[in-house]
Amino acid sequence: MKGHSEKACGFLADEKRAGWHDQTLWTVRLKRDKAASSLPEWEDLREQASQIKEDVLTHLADYLLRFEQQAVENGAEVHWASDAAEFNGIMLGLIGKYKASHIVKSKSMLTEECGLNHFLEEKGIEVVDTDLGERIIQFRKEPPSHIVLPAIHLKREEIGRLFQEKLNTEEGNSDPQYLTSAARAHLREKFLKAEIAITGVNFAVAETGVVVVCTNEGNADMGVHCAPVQVHCMGIEKIIPRTADLGVFTRLLARNATGQPVSAYTSHYRKPKPGGHMHIVIVDNGRSKRLGDNTFRNSLKCIRCGACMNTCPVYRRSGGYSYGYLIPGPIGSILAPVADARNHADLPFASSLCMSCTNVCPVKIDIDHQLYKWRQELSERKLVSPFKRLIMKSAGKILASNAWYNFSGRMARWVVKNLPRKLVYHPVNVWGKERELPAVPRESFKEWYKHNAQKRRTPHEQE
Amino acid sequence: MSRNKIIGMIRQNAPQSGSFSVWRKEKTETPVARLKEMFKDNLTRVGAAFSELLGKDQLYAFINVNYPDALCFEREEVWKEYQAASPDKLDKLGTVLLNGQFGVAENGAIWLDESDFPNRLIPFIARELIISLPSGQIVEDMHQAYERIDPIGSGFGLFISGPSKTADIEQSLVYGAHGPVTLTVVLY
Repeated sequence: MKGHSEKACGFLADEKRAGWHDQTLWTVRLKRDKAASSLPEWEDLREQASQIKEDVLTHLADYLLRFEQQAVENGAEVHWASDAAEFNGIMLGLIGKYKASHIVKSKSMLTEECGLNHFLEEKGIEVVDTDLGERIIQFRKEPPSHIVLPAIHLKREEIGRLFQEKLNTEEGNSDPQYLTSAARAHLREKFLKAEIAITGVNFAVAETGVVVVCTNEGNADMGVHCAPVQVHCMGIEKIIPRTADLGVFTRLLARNATGQPVSAYTSHYRKPKPGGHMHIVIVDNGRSKRLGDNTFRNSLKCIRCGACMNTCPVYRRSGGYSYGYLIPGPIGSILAPVADARNHADLPFASSLCMSCTNVCPVKIDIDHQLYKWRQELSERKLVSPFKRLIMKSAGKILASNAWYNFSGRMARWVVKNLPRKLVYHPVNVWGKERELPAVPRESFKEWYKHNAQKRRTPHEQE
Repeated sequence: MSRNKIIGMIRQNAPQSGSFSVWRKEKTETPVARLKEMFKDNLTRVGAAFSELLGKDQLYAFINVNYPDALCFEREEVWKEYQAASPDKLDKLGTVLLNGQFGVAENGAIWLDESDFPNRLIPFIARELIISLPSGQIVEDMHQAYERIDPIGSGFGLFISGPSKTADIEQSLVYGAHGPVTLTVVLY
């Protein structure tokens, strides 16, 4: 399997596209900054959101049971799934129970995580993703490359060609307005026929059994209110205790995700529609195990705003697919090794540890710290490549010894200055692959300080 | 049973109770006129149009002149007709007028619940949406908004902020992704 850096190489081969990707996500980050700084209490909100989630993780079992009890009283049916297989089985069971053949789904990273679409396809059941970005990548048989902007890796011309093939749009027309209206007409047909609507869940309120879903397109609601059966799928960590807590999270989520003051639609589903059916599926899939891990527990606070991706210098310049895990970027890099440490051992290294992710996180997950912890754990478990381990070990030795440090500095300066270019920029020197090494100074800082501190001191002593 | 297995696992793994303190934003007494200004600014930001009338008695005249085809559900027989309407019938809806309960100054959102429309699909499937709102019914932020909502008062409720939108193609903003292409807010 190719690692992150090899796949990033592929992404960077198209310089123009990579530059566009980088710039576009940075613009989203700037919008986020503007929205965040418009609220003087922004930092209080982040702290409160983090504390609410702390409270949730501490009392999760009680809150889940309270939620279940309320939801059942409201007339919803609650299902529990330990893992992806059980979740997919429950969904298949519901589809069978209602004899449904037209199924629509709005955005849900959980169903991606469980491979629901693929599972149902194998059984001959089609699920139509209704978020525009998700429909685009579903047509292309691709996973999302970003959790909030699933088709951010594509250019309008590619989508124009795709829609020409799938939706019979005009050849060569890649105007976003035109393409969106074609998708609207196509998906409207799907909504009107839908028998089951599946959604993800942004927040589930323990005290009321209410499920909250936020969208800009209104696609979750189009599905839920068209279809007689609504199914909301949530990970166990989506619980929040009180209705009042929604005040905190709705103020943070859209501002931090896209810079909007709030999502266009914030829908609160409590009871099934008259004559309809409402199901809620609560999924564990490894989360309760992670809850017991003091170091990595905090990652369960994530509200999936995607801000850590937009700000990450590595994500912006390598694209979502280079991570090889369904949630890419900094948060994905700490979630992926939980799922499969062996196959994702390189992800915690796909970071400069600049801490920007931690600084924008709306629930204050210590992402950079967790990346660093993962590096240590993966090295100890010998899951990091032998070459990287050797370099790390040598670096550790050199940096721990004064004499080795001085010597290797002198060596490096001499090598870069005196050896022919070919010998310096050899394949092992990955740093020099796409960039020039910095100009070599005449002496090290240590040497410079020794001379200059001496000189400085003299005039004072003369006085 | 998975439910008991999951709950058991959570109980076993949950951290020891930490401290949790509730933060509440200090309540500010922002003047009504200022709230209205903030609300209007944010409506513009989220792509909604707005009009301001001098009183509720002007509302129907305003609608008759500007949106003669707009459907409203004040009459009981209209309400009943649409209550059990199929999605196919609702698909034909053009312009719809709904009454909002209150607005939120900080983001231009308006709260409605299922007592405000005969069928839950209506706010989403109408081609154009008009929401009328008394100008005195604007709260400052989402904290105050959730204080006002009765969390078990309705089977379905929502905040609407602007028309349906998407930017999934190259981040170009397009209105009318699925739901209403336009949202007009009429303050009175």
